[in-house]
Amino acid sequence: MIRLPVICYSFLVARYSNEYQETSNEQPATSNETMTQVTDDIIIRTVARILIPFIQLYALYVIMHGHHSPGGGFQGGVILGASFILYLITHGLEEAKIRMSEVKAGLFSSFGLLIYSGIGLLCLILGSNYLDYGKLSAILRVIPAQARSLGILGVEIGVGIAVMAVMFSIFFDISTGGILPEDEEGGQEGR
Amino acid sequence: MEVTVLIQTADKAFEILEKAREEARELLYSAAKLTSEAKSLAEKRETRAFLSGAQQSRVALRNFAITFLILFGFWILLSGRFDYFHLALGVICSLLVAYLSYDLLFFNVRLGDFRIRARRFFQSAPWFLGQIFSANLHVAYLALSPKMPIDPQILRFKTKLESDISWVAMANSITLTPGTITMDIREGEFFVHALDKKVAYDLNTGEMEDKIAHVLMEADHVYIQDVLDVSRIFGALK
Repeated sequence: MIRLPVICYSFLVARYSNEYQETSNEQPATSNETMTQVTDDIIIRTVARILIPFIQLYALYVIMHGHHSPGGGFQGGVILGASFILYLITHGLEEAKIRMSEVKAGLFSSFGLLIYSGIGLLCLILGSNYLDYGKLSAILRVIPAQARSLGILGVEIGVGIAVMAVMFSIFFDISTGGILPEDEEGGQEGR
Repeated sequence: MEVTVLIQTADKAFEILEKAREEARELLYSAAKLTSEAKSLAEKRETRAFLSGAQQSRVALRNFAITFLILFGFWILLSGRFDYFHLALGVICSLLVAYLSYDLLFFNVRLGDFRIRARRFFQSAPWFLGQIFSANLHVAYLALSPKMPIDPQILRFKTKLESDISWVAMANSITLTPGTITMDIREGEFFVHALDKKVAYDLNTGEMEDKIAHVLMEADHVYIQDVLDVSRIFGALK
């Protein structure tokens, strides 16, 4: 659980610090362009297309059954992010941006963190410790044991969304070198 | 006198022949033009019908429903819990994934032929299984015989299949059959590695291709071009 906020924080720091932008402006993304191009192998493209829905459903299964069986928010989120990354690799940047853009990924990572910390704060407001789900039984109108189960499910969902978005975002930034084509055009127009 | 008359008539005959040839050539040109125009018109009509709003949304809805059903079945297979809570979670997750990627699972499936395809698939499945079984035995024989009589070779052939899905189905069937592996597909040209002459020969007979064309309903439509076979007539004239 502690890994997630650390990853999110370090990622956001790297994303928005001036130093990062300066270095990325000096080295335009030429070597990494192949990662985001459309692959010319028809087998890979078609098989990826057929497999991606099943990968996504498996990721959601891992998230939703995290409190019963091995798995959980982090693992499921990584699988979910991997499905989007697979789409980006096989179908290219242009098509992937329709499904999951960088703005959306940023919003989703914040939203997942909001769910996670919101449930924790709710427990704090209700008069117990941070992320102590027993007190949630007052709101959910169930016995404390069930409230713990539901509470941890909510936290898993939040963690899953955040990890998915951050994974995709990291890959997006690595593969484009931090510079999108429209960013470059916009910058040139601005000058 | 007689000779000049003969020459003149011969000249006339040649002229008539030339004219007839010209006319035939023009006719063929116009016929070829017409067929190509008719074909492009039909394609345009198809795309227009495909892109008309109502039908497109119908296709999208149908794809969404089928994707949802398949994914929910997959969820039940994974989960194995049948209480209402987990089934409700499954419905929500399947709806979510179906909403995210309903256009991925069914990319270019034509309308109305799904049942025929399913029937043909189950009809020809035993043939594929038998093929895989016999190829298994053959490869086991190659591996176990002391001399190991292998003769590796790379085949390269142009396929008559047309759509992406049938190319991938063909490639995966080839790879699934022991002894042969599809290395690449480039613009309808298959590059296949075969272990010895027998498996290469089995592949070259094209029976598997025919079966896949039959299952995926590729052989059911005939183009006007094939009937006319314009290119061959052109060749004969020139």
